Amino acid sequence: MAKIGVYVCHCGENIAGAVKIEEVMKYAETLPDVAVVRNYLFMCSDPGQDIIKKDIKDGLVDRVVVAACTPRTHEPIFRDAVESAGLNRYFLEMANIRDQDSWAHWHDKTGATEKAKRLIRSAVAKVRLAEPLEDRYGDMEKSVMVIGGGVAGMFAAIDLANMGLKVYLVERQPSIGGQMIKLDKTFPTMDCSACILTPKMVEVAQHPNIELITYAEVDSVKGYVGNFDITVKKKARYIDWDKCTGCGVCTQICPSRVPNEYNFGMNQRRAAYIEFPQAVPKKAVIDRANCLYFKSMDKTGKPACQICEKGIPPKGIQGCPAGAIKFDDKDEYINLKVGAVIIATGYKVMEKTHFKEYSPHSPDVVTAMEFERILSATGPTEGELKRPSDGTKPKTIAFISCVGSRDERYHSYCSKVCCMYMLKHARILKEKYPDIKLYLFFIDVRTAGKDFEEFYVYTRELGVKVIRGGRVSAVDVKPNGKLRVRGFDVDLCSPVELEADMVVLATAIEPPAGTDELGRLFAATCGREGFLREVHTKLYPVETASKGVFLAGCVQGPKDIPESIAQARAASSAAAALVIPGKIKFEAIISEVDREKCSSCGVCVPLCPYGAIRLEEYKGKEKAYIEPALCAGCGVCASACPSRAITFHGFTTEQILAQIDALAEA
Amino acid sequence: MEEGGVNVIDLTQGDESFVKELEGLGADELRECIQCGKCGATCPMALAGLEFFIKRIVHAANLGLRDVLLEDSSVWGCQSCNRCVEICPMDIKPYEVIQALRRAAIKVESCPANTYEGLRNLYKFGHAVFPKGFEERRKKAGLPEKPPTALSYDELRKKYQEVLKQTILEEIAPFPLD
Ligand code: SF4
Ligand code: SF4
Repeated sequence: MAKIGVYVCHCGENIAGAVKIEEVMKYAETLPDVAVVRNYLFMCSDPGQDIIKKDIKDGLVDRVVVAACTPRTHEPIFRDAVESAGLNRYFLEMANIRDQDSWAHWHDKTGATEKAKRLIRSAVAKVRLAEPLEDRYGDMEKSVMVIGGGVAGMFAAIDLANMGLKVYLVERQPSIGGQMIKLDKTFPTMDCSACILTPKMVEVAQHPNIELITYAEVDSVKGYVGNFDITVKKKARYIDWDKCTGCGVCTQICPSRVPNEYNFGMNQRRAAYIEFPQAVPKKAVIDRANCLYFKSMDKTGKPACQICEKGIPPKGIQGCPAGAIKFDDKDEYINLKVGAVIIATGYKVMEKTHFKEYSPHSPDVVTAMEFERILSATGPTEGELKRPSDGTKPKTIAFISCVGSRDERYHSYCSKVCCMYMLKHARILKEKYPDIKLYLFFIDVRTAGKDFEEFYVYTRELGVKVIRGGRVSAVDVKPNGKLRVRGFDVDLCSPVELEADMVVLATAIEPPAGTDELGRLFAATCGREGFLREVHTKLYPVETASKGVFLAGCVQGPKDIPESIAQARAASSAAAALVIPGKIKFEAIISEVDREKCSSCGVCVPLCPYGAIRLEEYKGKEKAYIEPALCAGCGVCASACPSRAITFHGFTTEQILAQIDALAEA
Repeated sequence: MEEGGVNVIDLTQGDESFVKELEGLGADELRECIQCGKCGATCPMALAGLEFFIKRIVHAANLGLRDVLLEDSSVWGCQSCNRCVEICPMDIKPYEVIQALRRAAIKVESCPANTYEGLRNLYKFGHAVFPKGFEERRKKAGLPEKPPTALSYDELRKKYQEVLKQTILEEIAPFPLD
């Protein structure tokens, strides 16, 4: 016969303020098999736990019910306490008389007290039937995959590699560098972005523990924490990277020109191209969709162009000197086994086309990211400030913040970095061209970072005009080609207008295309705004709902560079802490199939949200099998199984029925 | 500019040279204002209902809105109470902005008529505002005709006028400095 101890927590006033503790205790004493009932101000405190431990050690108690707050946060604590006193850790049950009772029925003390009695009664009924469960361990692959080669992914990869772990860094583009490499300068220190990032890119490429796989995407994922089995598709490059020296010959002689994505289409690249001058790895790729060879091969079966390979001999133009052109290149699929994954696929900026009120058709209305390229020495104008429409130097520029951010029609969130990069742009411009007139239209100025406010005041001192309360309502193109900006200035308390030569839109930061699909491959969920979601904003900021899958950088939400790096290093630590011990603990509260009882109906297989169930040959028949490492303990299968062949440990059918009976008792 | 009765302020007319001028006339920390509005909440001009009270004046000055500021007589309503100077968290000394604006306004003769009256009095009597027409009553009460201030010390007043003549007043005074 079980000897059950019931421990009623006051939770300060949280519980005791609504539930009559004495009355509940008296009632608990009358329940079957209850040996001891005690109470304490805070059961989760050390002295609180000691009360439980002492009763177990004294032999008074061998099953424990803690009537307190939510098991979500507190069950592990009490399980540890029970275990340290020598009992199986699963001989514990919690009755949530706070969140589900005292908080909910604060003004009905009698009702709350009655409900507490019922909840305890049901917990007692369940714990009487508790079975001892054992945690098990599985093997852990000592390697990590980092997806995304921007600043966050790179730092995560370097940290892990420095800890001695094998790292696979998978990047979609031909080169690593992400968005940061496109920036001109970075706030608040005004470092040249490329100058501080390039050495890190080289470090990534040369690190003996990092295998850099660029121009590649995750294709499929099997396995689970500790043993992910990932297929990566290396896209056909049509250039043999073992031979390509990055000399750039093909990128100059290729006759097919297309808008250059790297510069947001503001200049052109060839079909054979190197992504940008300081690309790592510095290798060329041929973009199949725009290559004349493939276009004509697909149409006529004959190549119209092979210039990159063969050159133009009559003109004395040589083709690829390394003989690296490889028109028969194929997509390649590679399988990688890793213990953990860090997703760091970053962000993209929203395009201007959404904002009809801002004359997006005008080339002089640009997004901040495009403007960043205009400022950059490697950009379409080689760093010279020119109006895209006519190449003249703009004298007045208006910046508009929160374009698509803080806007229920697009994104309700604040994109967080725009205020600062607008000020940064203003500062770069004012320092170069003191006479330029700059008007920054903010809703309000958000500069909440280390040294950010000082940056703001300094920028104001340069003569930059800050218009607050002024989300611009319209940008019109005037007949003279100038842009009329109309807004409101709360500081003047007046509508204002301005004639500008250029308008820069600080468009919202969005999750990159494919985030949802990538998340789904790893069973990591997206939030409402499409960014991948951390498990708990405060306590578990880098972990996803999927064990062994971590997040870093803007794929989790808008961030600046220091924050992205901090999160990357946090994610790498969390991943390393998981991977380095070499083994992984599996939950005991999972489902198991009794194959003798299984009728092979297979209903459970598609129901499992974690893909943990498969049919397996057993005694000549296909029977269900649940992979313990994958089972998350949701219990869906157990409730669905028509043969009652599935036991959900910790929540057996008998236990659940006993609980329901106890609750339903008058 | 007049649109359905609402006065739209055209920022394009903002003139950076006006900002520089004001900086030179004493408002040298003008650009550091972050428009927190603390000054506006303590300003008697705002309480008195003047359109341009200190917070808006500083912002308009920063935008170089010369005409907007000089066409409005609000800056002359400042009581020089200096509360704004005491409480400004950015320490920009808002009152200095008012003073700079008045200096700029005087140069282009953009001030209310009674300003000149005050200026003339200042030059003539050593007081912008002084009691007039009380001579008889003062005598009856056994007081000197003029209160014992600069008014009653002719010699000192003359010296003081000599000093004033060496200032910019020489150029801008719309009355003879005899
Ligand atoms: S085949 Fe012609 S079009 Fe294609 S990459 Fe080579 S040079 Fe360019
Ligand atoms: S309990 Fe849930 S996760 Fe585990 S096998 Fe069943 S359905 Fe899948």
